[in-house]
Amino acid sequence: MKKECVAMLLAGGQGSRLYALTRSVAKPAVPFGSKYRIIDFPLSNCVNSGIDTVGVLTQYRPMELNAYLGNGQPWDLDKSDGGVHVLPPYLGAGEQGSWYKGTANAIYQNIDFIDMYDPEYVLILSGDHIYKMDYDKMLDYHKRQHAAATISVLEVTLEEASRFGIMNVDENDVIYEFEEKPKEPKSNLASMGIYIFTWSKLRQALIEDENDPTSKNDFGGNIIPNLIAKGETCVAYRFRGYWKDVGTIASLWDANMDLLDINSGIQVFDKSWPIFARTNICPPHVCGPDAVISHSLVAGGCDIDGTVDHSVIFENVTVEHGAVVRYSVLMPGTVIKAGARVEYAILAENAVVEKNAVVGEDKGPIAVVAGGVVVDAGSQVPAGAMYTEESKGGEA
Amino acid sequence: MLNNVHGILMTNQPGYNLKDLSSIRSISSVPYGGRYRLVDFILSNMVDDGITDIGVVLQQGYQSLLDHLGSGKDWDLARRQGGLRLLPPFSMPSSNSQRIYQGKMEALIGLKDYLSEIKQEYLIVADADIVLNISLEDVFEKHIASGADVSVVCSRKFTDSPDYATYFTLKEDGSADEVLTRPEGDCYESLSIYVLSKSKMIELVDYSAARGLNSFSRQVLPLKDKLELKVVPYLFEGYAARFPTVADYFEKSMDLLKKDVRDDLFNPAHPIRSKDRSDPATYYGSESKVVSSMISDGCVIEGTVENSIIFRNVKIAKGAVVKNCILMKDVEVDAGASLNCVICDKSVSIGANRTLSGCETYPIVYAKGTRI
Repeated sequence: MKKECVAMLLAGGQGSRLYALTRSVAKPAVPFGSKYRIIDFPLSNCVNSGIDTVGVLTQYRPMELNAYLGNGQPWDLDKSDGGVHVLPPYLGAGEQGSWYKGTANAIYQNIDFIDMYDPEYVLILSGDHIYKMDYDKMLDYHKRQHAAATISVLEVTLEEASRFGIMNVDENDVIYEFEEKPKEPKSNLASMGIYIFTWSKLRQALIEDENDPTSKNDFGGNIIPNLIAKGETCVAYRFRGYWKDVGTIASLWDANMDLLDINSGIQVFDKSWPIFARTNICPPHVCGPDAVISHSLVAGGCDIDGTVDHSVIFENVTVEHGAVVRYSVLMPGTVIKAGARVEYAILAENAVVEKNAVVGEDKGPIAVVAGGVVVDAGSQVPAGAMYTEESKGGEA
Repeated sequence: MLNNVHGILMTNQPGYNLKDLSSIRSISSVPYGGRYRLVDFILSNMVDDGITDIGVVLQQGYQSLLDHLGSGKDWDLARRQGGLRLLPPFSMPSSNSQRIYQGKMEALIGLKDYLSEIKQEYLIVADADIVLNISLEDVFEKHIASGADVSVVCSRKFTDSPDYATYFTLKEDGSADEVLTRPEGDCYESLSIYVLSKSKMIELVDYSAARGLNSFSRQVLPLKDKLELKVVPYLFEGYAARFPTVADYFEKSMDLLKKDVRDDLFNPAHPIRSKDRSDPATYYGSESKVVSSMISDGCVIEGTVENSIIFRNVKIAKGAVVKNCILMKDVEVDAGASLNCVICDKSVSIGANRTLSGCETYPIVYAKGTRI
C-alpha cells in the first residue's frame, strides 16, 4: 500500500570509536539509559510521529540488532502493511552484489524496497543519536518549503562547529553550501544526520551518484552538494531540544549522565513522547538492607546492597554489600562484588568486577570494561583504559 | 513440551476477601510483587512448559483481567492456532438467572461445548490466584507415570487459612486416601492444580451436571472411590502462596523481600511473564534512602522507603517516609507524609505531611484512586 513517508534508518555503522562496546554489536544496539538501546530513540520517534514503515539498514555485526528488532512488536511496528524491515546488503541474480559502500549507496541498494511503498517522501535517519523529535513537524516544513531535501540542523557554538557537517544558509534557511567539518565555519548550523527527501528527487540523485565512480556515495558529502549544485531547493530545519551524538565513549557516558537530570534533557519520564524498548522479563529490583542509592537510575532485576551514586544501572545488575559505584554506567548483567570500587566507568554486558578490584578513578577519564570480561579480585583497571580479554592477557 | 495438554484457568475464588483490592477486580488480577498480577504465575508456568492453548474462565469483575491479558501477546499466546481463549460467563446456561458460578464444575458444565472442542488429550485445570513457579512438565510426566486419573499438585507447607482448601491423606501407594476440608494429622494441602484427561473431565462434568455438583474439590473428589477415580497428589516442594485475606496478602507479599523466596519464584530459566509496559528505569533522588525493599520500574523516589513493595510509576517525594507498605501502580506520596503498614491500591495519592498507619496483623487498605 502507498505510504506518504517511509523511514530508512542507517544502522550499519561499526561505531569503532566505541571499540570495546561494539566488538560484538552494531552501534545502534548498544545499551543506553538503563532500559534502552540507542536505536530505540529514532524508532520511537518514528512511531510517535506517525511513521509506520521503517527500513533498518544493517551491515556490521547485525545478529544482536536483528534479534532486538524482531518483528517490531515493542514499537508497534509489527504490522501487516509496513512495519520494521531489516535490510542487509544482498546479491542480486546474475549481478555483482556488494557491501554498502556508503550511506547513499545503502539507500541506493534498497530503491526497490522504497518503491514498494511508492512514498512521496523518504526520511533518512541514523542510529547513533539520542533525541526526541517529531518528524511529522519536519515533514510539514519540508512540504511548506517545497523542498527537494530538508536537513535537520542544530545550532552549535562556532568552536563546536568544526566537528560537524555545517550548513551555510541564506536568510530563508535555504542551504547554498554544505561543508564537512570546516576549519573556519561560516555558520553554526550543524547537520543532525536527519534528512527528508522528496523521493522522486532522491531516487534520481541516487542513480546519478551510483554512476559516478569518484563518488564516496555519502549523503553529506555527495548527495546534498549535488542537489544544491543542480539548483534543487535544500532547506535547513532548525531543531531545538536535546540531541546528543553518542559516537564516542566520552559522549556516550555524558549522555547517560544527562539522563539523570530527569526533568531536563531527554526526559524519559515524559509520557507524552514515550521511548519504547524491547524489555527483558525480569522482576522488580531489590534494595538490600545496606543499600545506599542516590541520583541514579536502576532497572528491573537488579540486586543492590552496596552504594550507587550518579549512575545508570541496567537490568539484572548486582552490586554487592560494601561495593561502591559512582558516576558509572553498568550495562545488563554486570556484577560488582563486595568491596569493589567502580568510578567514572562504563561496564559492558555481563562484565564482572571481583572482590576489592578497582575500575576507573574519580573524575575519569572514563574506563571501559568490555562485555563478559572479569576484572580479577584486587586488580585495577586504570582511568581511561579499554579493558578487554586481550588487554587483560597483555597486562599479565 | 506439553503440546498435548490444554490449560484451563479459573479466575475467581468464592470465599476470598481482599476487601477493596478484590471488590473491583477478580482475585486473579489482584496486583502482586511490584509488577505482576496473580494470574501471571500459573499462566507463565503453562507457557514456559509449552502449553500454547489456554482457556481463561472469567466470572465477575474481569475488566482488569481483560486489560491485563489483552490478546495474550506478552505470553506469546496471540496465535493463529490456539493461544489465549477468554471464556466469559455469558456462556453459562444459568446466566439468565444472574447466578454466578460457585465452583469449577458449575463453570465447566456451562462450558461443555468448549470442552468438547479441545484438541488436546489432557487438561491442566488450575486456579489462577496461586503464586508459585512450578514445572508443569514434571507434574504431567508423573501423572502419566503414576497411572492416575487425576493428579493434584499439593504442598505440605500450608498456604491457607484452612477454610479455603482441600487436604488429602495418603495411601501407601501414594494415591489419595481421604479428602478433607480441614487439615488433620499428616496430610497434603491441594494447590488446586489438576491434571486429567479431557475424556475423564467430560465424564465428570456430565456426572456433576446430572447431580447438581458444583465443586470439583469438595463434591466430586470425595466421591473418588465410588467413581473409581485414582487421585494422586503431586508433592510440590517450592514456595507457594495464596491470599484469602488482606493479612495473608500483606504477609506473603513481604515474603518477596527474602532472597530464597525470590530465587524460587523468579527463575530466569522459567520466567514469570507479565504485561509489558514501556516504563523508564526508577530514578532515585539525591536524598533518597531505600533499604530492604522491592522497587519496580518507572518510580521517582526522593524520600525514605523501608521494608516495602513498590509497584510501577510510584512517586515518593522528599521527606516522605514509607515503611512496611505495599504501594501499587501510580501511587503518589507527597512531601513529609508518613506511611506504615498500609496497602495503597492503584493511583492512591497521599497529601503532604499526612500520617497513615496500620499494623502488621491488620494492614489498612486504601481503595483505588483514594485521595488523602
